[in-house]
Amino acid sequence: MFKRPKRCVVTLLCLVLCLTLGISAALAAEQAKTVKLGWIGSLTGDQAVWGQCELNTVKMLAEELNDAGGLLGAKIEVIGYDTRGDAMEAVNCVRRLTGQDKVVCIIGPNASGQAIPISSILEEMKVPDIATVATNPKVTVVDGKTKPFNFRVCFIDPYQGAVAAGFAFDVLGLRKAAVLYDVADDYSQGLTEFFVKTFTEKGGTVVAKEAFKFGDTDFRPQLSKIKAANPDLIFMPYFFKEVALSSNQARELGIKCTLMGGDGWPSEVLIEMAKEAIEGSYVVNHLDFDDPDVMDFKARYIKKYNRQVELNGFLAHDAFLMFVDAVKRANSFDPVAIKNALETTNVKGITGTIRIDKDTHNPEGKEAAIIKIVDGNYIFQQKYAP
Amino acid sequence: MTQFLQQMINGLSIGSVYALMAVGYSLVYSIMNFSNFAHGGVIMLGAYFGFYFLAVFKWPFAFAFFGAALGSTVLAVLLERVAYKPLRMRNAPFLYFIISAMGASILIENFVIATIGPTFKTYPQVLSREPFQIAALFIGRLDTMIFITSAVCLALLVYFIDFTKVGKAIRATAFNARVSALMGINTDMIIILVFAVGGFLAGVAGVLFGMKYTVYPQIGAVTIKSFIAAVFGGLGSLPGAVIGSVILGLLETLISGYFSSQFRDLISFSLLIIILVLRPIGLMGKPSEEKA
Repeated sequence: MFKRPKRCVVTLLCLVLCLTLGISAALAAEQAKTVKLGWIGSLTGDQAVWGQCELNTVKMLAEELNDAGGLLGAKIEVIGYDTRGDAMEAVNCVRRLTGQDKVVCIIGPNASGQAIPISSILEEMKVPDIATVATNPKVTVVDGKTKPFNFRVCFIDPYQGAVAAGFAFDVLGLRKAAVLYDVADDYSQGLTEFFVKTFTEKGGTVVAKEAFKFGDTDFRPQLSKIKAANPDLIFMPYFFKEVALSSNQARELGIKCTLMGGDGWPSEVLIEMAKEAIEGSYVVNHLDFDDPDVMDFKARYIKKYNRQVELNGFLAHDAFLMFVDAVKRANSFDPVAIKNALETTNVKGITGTIRIDKDTHNPEGKEAAIIKIVDGNYIFQQKYAP
Repeated sequence: MTQFLQQMINGLSIGSVYALMAVGYSLVYSIMNFSNFAHGGVIMLGAYFGFYFLAVFKWPFAFAFFGAALGSTVLAVLLERVAYKPLRMRNAPFLYFIISAMGASILIENFVIATIGPTFKTYPQVLSREPFQIAALFIGRLDTMIFITSAVCLALLVYFIDFTKVGKAIRATAFNARVSALMGINTDMIIILVFAVGGFLAGVAGVLFGMKYTVYPQIGAVTIKSFIAAVFGGLGSLPGAVIGSVILGLLETLISGYFSSQFRDLISFSLLIIILVLRPIGLMGKPSEEKA
């Protein structure tokens, strides 16, 4: 048996529908002062932990800002998309954020591989992006040409070399340095180049510069040569496996001088393999989790999400800071105005002072964290900029 | 002068690891006239055996060392049974053996990557890292141990091949397999034996290598150098393999030490090619029709 719905029921339904529509329209009008901020990064896959931490950070900061009255009278709404750690997917995310969601600025992604291919879309849609932990020089500058809409909050890889050289010369007072590096690796070569340049400019001498090739396991021929040059310091800009092997071999050859390296070092495996050999060595890194400047943010994050902050969270924090600062100075939510303001950024973040260079879109002269290895632990020493 | 002596010590220690690996290539070549490229895979697995026995099962060092060598022995024999015997039975051309060997080598490497993982493993520290010091020269304890172990193993091998009855049978088979079979030598057994001996040495080499440099699936990059050393010394000749390895080790260190480490492989391999062009059978090789 089928009964026609009574007319009054239909009328009632229509009424409800109209009401709902009316209310949502009213709500939309109320929310007209909402501005969208995009975020992209990995929420699935290998790097999901880092991506999730970034998105959490950006959302938390936006909430705090909204509670405190918003930005230029508007509320910030964060829209995050998952790149799944894939370059193609990153391009799609940016297309969606700029085309469909009309965001005014994008924060992320966390890896150079995804940050490099998105520039063509950014330039097409004229929306700026602030990469978090994309350290490859090509993210902002390719063949000497600056990409207009790409920025970053972290320093580039090779810069660590300059920091190491400056710290060794000025703070440790060392005058004779040797470098052992991986000739087949861009990262290692970049760090070496900046190290040698800065160290010699300051008046130090590079007494030996020896190379090996990725895959090598024995470094004694190079180290014997370095030993004969009698340096005060050996700079080792490569990754922890080779660091462990070469530092052990250096000590076996009776080399007693200080060792130094970059962010390729920190790892539990390194301590396990070469605890005695690397005792007293120095490491240059983006920041340290025990740095007093990051404590406040760390506490707020842990309180809200009840989990530890990853390196990416700190840089996402400063990327958000850069965005807020640029909007305030531009006094507008126009993406191009924000981009122009980003070019003259000079703010103090928790990871150091961020002074964007108009020609490179990188934070120049940003402080790095100097970490010393003491009794098999990575101990924060100080912030340092050359 | 000190630096020169130190570099000679470095070279000898690198060369002695090459030598242990190179004799395995030479042994098989002398009997079967083909290059067993899967030997590198056996060395790698030997290193993993040693790692698991020492680090995971916590065996005492001597047991772990011996266990790894025995494990590789079994593996090398198994490899012969599965990958080469069917070809031998059908008198397949030598090229097929080489392809089969390469296949086995890729299979072993990928098997390890898929099951154990592509990242390297670290041996627990067995010997102190404090080096011996003689005047201004430093000699690592581990290097000393590697050198002595290699020397003892190689001496035993030479004794076995040159002074025992079985050794005589191996030499006879190497000289002419068909005639030796007619004379009553069980050549199938000889082949198993040769693979077993090669496998044992591979296990020893693997563990020593792992202790010094960690274990990872791509150890093949190093074993290929020992293969080249074996060719350089004359494939099929044991003293040749040892001498070729030591020379390659010394050459590499001296070039890195006195010329440029970036040119190390370029120069040392160019020299090897020149020597092979002038003397195609290698330093101590016997004339042979096919070299693969």
